[in-house]
Amino acid sequence: MRKLLLLALALAPVLSFAQGFQVNLEGQKQIGMGHTGTGILQDGASVFFNPGAVAMLPQNYVQAGISPIFYKSDFNPSGTSVQDHNANKIAYPFTFYGVWGPKSACWKLGLGVYTPFGGLNYWGNTWQGKYVLESLDLKAIYFQPTLSIKLADFLSVGAGFVYNRGSVDLTQAIPLANGSGQPGQAELKGTGKGYGWNAGIYIKTESGVTIGITHRSQVTTTISNGNAIFNVPASLQSSFPQPNTFNSTIPLPAINSIGFGFYPCSKWVLALDVNLVGWDIYKTLSFDYASNTPALHDTHSPRNYQDAVSLRGGAQYKANANMALRFGGGYASTAVRDGYVTPEAPDANRVYVTGGLGYTLAKHLDLDVSFEYEHLMKRTQTNIESQLAGTFETNVYIPGISLAYHW
Amino acid sequence: MKTIRLHIYIIAGLLLLGACKPNIDTPKPSHGSADFTRYIAVGNSLTAGYADGGLYLAGQMVSYPSIIGKQMQSVGGGAFSQPLFSTTQANGSGYLSLTGFNPNGTPITTPVTTNLAITGQQAIPGFGNVTLYAKYSGEINNYGVPGIKLFHITYAPYGNLNGYYERLLSGNEGTHTTAYLDFVTAKPFTFFSNWLGNNDALGYATSGGAGDVLTDKNTFAQLYGLLISKLTANGQKGVVGTIPDVTSVPYFTTITVGAILGAVQKANPAAQALFINALVSGTTYAPRPATAKDLIVLTFPTSMIGQPVSTPYGTLPYGLTPYSPIDNQYVLDQNEIALTEDYINSYNATIKSIAATNGLAVFDAYTFLNNIKQNGLVVDGVSVNSGYISGGLFSLDGVHLTPRGYAIVANEFIKAINGKYGSSIPAVNISDYNGVKFP
Repeated sequence: MRKLLLLALALAPVLSFAQGFQVNLEGQKQIGMGHTGTGILQDGASVFFNPGAVAMLPQNYVQAGISPIFYKSDFNPSGTSVQDHNANKIAYPFTFYGVWGPKSACWKLGLGVYTPFGGLNYWGNTWQGKYVLESLDLKAIYFQPTLSIKLADFLSVGAGFVYNRGSVDLTQAIPLANGSGQPGQAELKGTGKGYGWNAGIYIKTESGVTIGITHRSQVTTTISNGNAIFNVPASLQSSFPQPNTFNSTIPLPAINSIGFGFYPCSKWVLALDVNLVGWDIYKTLSFDYASNTPALHDTHSPRNYQDAVSLRGGAQYKANANMALRFGGGYASTAVRDGYVTPEAPDANRVYVTGGLGYTLAKHLDLDVSFEYEHLMKRTQTNIESQLAGTFETNVYIPGISLAYHW
Repeated sequence: MKTIRLHIYIIAGLLLLGACKPNIDTPKPSHGSADFTRYIAVGNSLTAGYADGGLYLAGQMVSYPSIIGKQMQSVGGGAFSQPLFSTTQANGSGYLSLTGFNPNGTPITTPVTTNLAITGQQAIPGFGNVTLYAKYSGEINNYGVPGIKLFHITYAPYGNLNGYYERLLSGNEGTHTTAYLDFVTAKPFTFFSNWLGNNDALGYATSGGAGDVLTDKNTFAQLYGLLISKLTANGQKGVVGTIPDVTSVPYFTTITVGAILGAVQKANPAAQALFINALVSGTTYAPRPATAKDLIVLTFPTSMIGQPVSTPYGTLPYGLTPYSPIDNQYVLDQNEIALTEDYINSYNATIKSIAATNGLAVFDAYTFLNNIKQNGLVVDGVSVNSGYISGGLFSLDGVHLTPRGYAIVANEFIKAINGKYGSSIPAVNISDYNGVKFP
């Protein structure tokens, strides 16, 4: 009759989803110029940057690129001199674009396959926040068929349909020790899908300045019947039934952009982009388990994100007929309010600088390399939900390479 | 050749990236105005690392003084030694282990009886049998002695009455004459923690007010003043802990009158009430129906309820009539609780006032544990509360703490020390410490 209530074991897997998961690596030429591209024409990556500009491209394109991310986070728990570093794991965002239209036609078709959101962060199973997160591997791959039409010599429009295939694999320790004192572990693993669209306008003004305006819609990605795997001491397994599944919905935010291109002389291109990211939609994160027990409730974690802004600028200098040098940089405000910062992608205001080199390998073949360094400002936080208290700081290093064939 | 060189450059570049970890600058560790060269811990079972109804090596290893001592080492603290049991006698006094759950969800605990450090028993005239343990003769920084009261610290023969103290003393059982206060202050030290006094109230409470007495308030104040004056005799600084509210521990809150009565009524819907032998006033006890304000101890064998017992009024079911009430030793009734709380409040007023007079840091365990009882606590994603087993804070005996509980307490002591003396003893990582172990 010793009444044992295991209610208190309620588990709250907390997957946050933040600006930190927005991957701004959608084309090497554009990365080199501070990830600008809404208001200028470079190559097939316009399918992502501005579907409205695609019809203005002088040629047809097939191109692919990859930008490995070295994401280096450090956590200093409050009141200690401990430095918890995340593990060296490399994520590989990639891009593929195809653009085609008859030379004489006023339209072009495009296809983009790219990774606008994702995250890979392994903190391991010994750090202070292991009961919040051990590891996260999150990917969103967008497939985007696009049609763009040139309405006049100075104006083109375009739109695309987006299909998102997302996957998530999250692990966290469960504070239930087995006979040898080792904690349990939860793993949530699943794939999901979502749909959206985007559209853009591209204008060449009489002054020579080019302007692009785009809207990329919210893509609500639903993970259904993901695997919920709970590894707990045998005597508690019945409280964490296996097999079990979960459903969750992650809204990937809408993004409105405006971009400008300036051409002071034939060798120089200057670009400026402004993005408004609608993270405000992200109020709660819920996990709905197929089998609930008194110890395993559905969870609803508040997120209360705020809209974020990013400002980007870049330049390209055409050194000679075969070579272009690029550089740029930008600033992005955080979507995560104080008290909601989590280790998945410890978000903060960020600055970045980029550089790039374009080289014409052969008549129809461009090789582009890019490098980006991003710094997330130091942010000292106590998370409202987990009470994990400390300072996060992150540096990100992103080399990248792409090949573009055009004709 | 050229491509090989290119590869080397790429690999070198990637290695370079691997080295570019951010590092967050932290303030230089400081001992502030305190000196942690030799820190000693004075206290009872909580200080010794007692858990799960016993003192054993794994518990000693995570005692809060050992955690504090280790954390102090980055701010000038010296080595911290404890009177550990040997690895071959790692299970010390023996302890309870959780071995499963009954179908109704109640836990099954089993005593661990192998690899003990028990060396025998000796009858002490006028006292009774004392269990003896393997002696420890090395360095000691942790002077925690399970069972000791503040009341005992000047009592010279105490070493003969408590096997946990006896094992620290040289000489044979029955011949000890060193009072605890003299023992702990014999060797110079620079900093102390003191968490004595719990047993002066808890001994009475855990025996349902039947097996022990509350230490007189004035005696407590006089002894506490003496203790602190000795501990600070050479200007040492230190930290003291207050005494937790007895009703904040699961030993008293797990088995409730309502739960027992509910189970009785399932079998016998006519049952109206449980009967207890309750304190009226002074030393007068009388049977009355139990209410939710009476606390049943965790060790009460609930199977006794309803068993036939012979009384002057015939054979009656145990606990269900005024003539066959639940024995006093299993119940801390409402008046006993009020009495205990009155004493604890007085003890704590004494502790805080003497600490203030001497400029000592205070860990207010009373407030801290009551707050957890009310609101729970979340630390680094781990939720703890005062619940038995599931709460993660209290060990299987319902009074002493789990490793997680002791680590949390260590951080509270550290916080108090840093706050008082301007030191920066680093906090310990609570995530490294487990709660109750499940099979």
